[in-house]
Amino acid sequence: MSFETRLIIIAALVLVVVAGGLYWRRTTGRARAVADGTQIDLGRLGATKDGKPVTQFGKRVTFLQFSTEVCSQCRQTARLLGEFEAQNSDVLHIEFDLTHRLDVAKKFNILQTPTTLVLDSRGRVTSRIGGAAKTQTIQDEIGNFQI
Amino acid sequence: MSKQIEQIDPRGPRFGASIINVFSIIIFFLALDASTVALAQSLLAIVWVSFLWGSLLGNTKHPFGIIYKKLVRPRLSAPKELEDSRPPRFAQFVGLVVTSIGFLLSALAVPFGIAIAAGALFAASTLQAYFGFCLGCQIYLGLRRVGVIRG
Repeated sequence: MSFETRLIIIAALVLVVVAGGLYWRRTTGRARAVADGTQIDLGRLGATKDGKPVTQFGKRVTFLQFSTEVCSQCRQTARLLGEFEAQNSDVLHIEFDLTHRLDVAKKFNILQTPTTLVLDSRGRVTSRIGGAAKTQTIQDEIGNFQI
Repeated sequence: MSKQIEQIDPRGPRFGASIINVFSIIIFFLALDASTVALAQSLLAIVWVSFLWGSLLGNTKHPFGIIYKKLVRPRLSAPKELEDSRPPRFAQFVGLVVTSIGFLLSALAVPFGIAIAAGALFAASTLQAYFGFCLGCQIYLGLRRVGVIRG
């Protein structure tokens, strides 16, 4: 294969990869509205916080974050959501590890982590954030709920 | 959760990915021509060993991790946060599988088998090193759910 042909193929590969990377970075961590009325049952899910079972939703909004052990971005999302929770007494953050709970991953059709479900005060899913959540996205989501 | 999990500087694996990134594009270039495909294959074999090492022993015991700690890390500010050592190890394992597939394709006389593997490595390492993409976040659950890998 000629030198020129090889350079053209490499240029095409680089372009495709960079375009893919830019597209991924633009779309990841955005919230998508969910309107199918999915109801979360924290008790049945077996959700815990600091090792204790959680049964009550946040008074304003609950962020139910799904993570796995091999997910590095889950840590930064957990830290971000934790900060919002610390600043707002009516915001609750729950992290749920799917590594040994594939049944839950299947039930909510989760393919990537972190995936965060945004729940209203009665535990109904209102939106879904795929990928590491951005600060602005979280602020907007909290703003969607009136107190 | 009771087990203590090793915590590492998240920039270490990204540094390693940038080295793989340069290596993989060179291998890709060499693998496209029949006269240099043997050289590409030998270089990919080195990369294979690197991934095997990384997936068995983890980033901190890997040559790239050691270079990062000794030469790069002292010139940078302290990391904002540490990360779990398991996600980068999973990425190393994915690299090992992709490289192995390249050799398999090549052994089956599939045209450009080595180039395909090197191209895939280039794509993954670019995304990891420069876009903050995390393989463990994007593909782990999908592979688990279809039963390709076990927990």
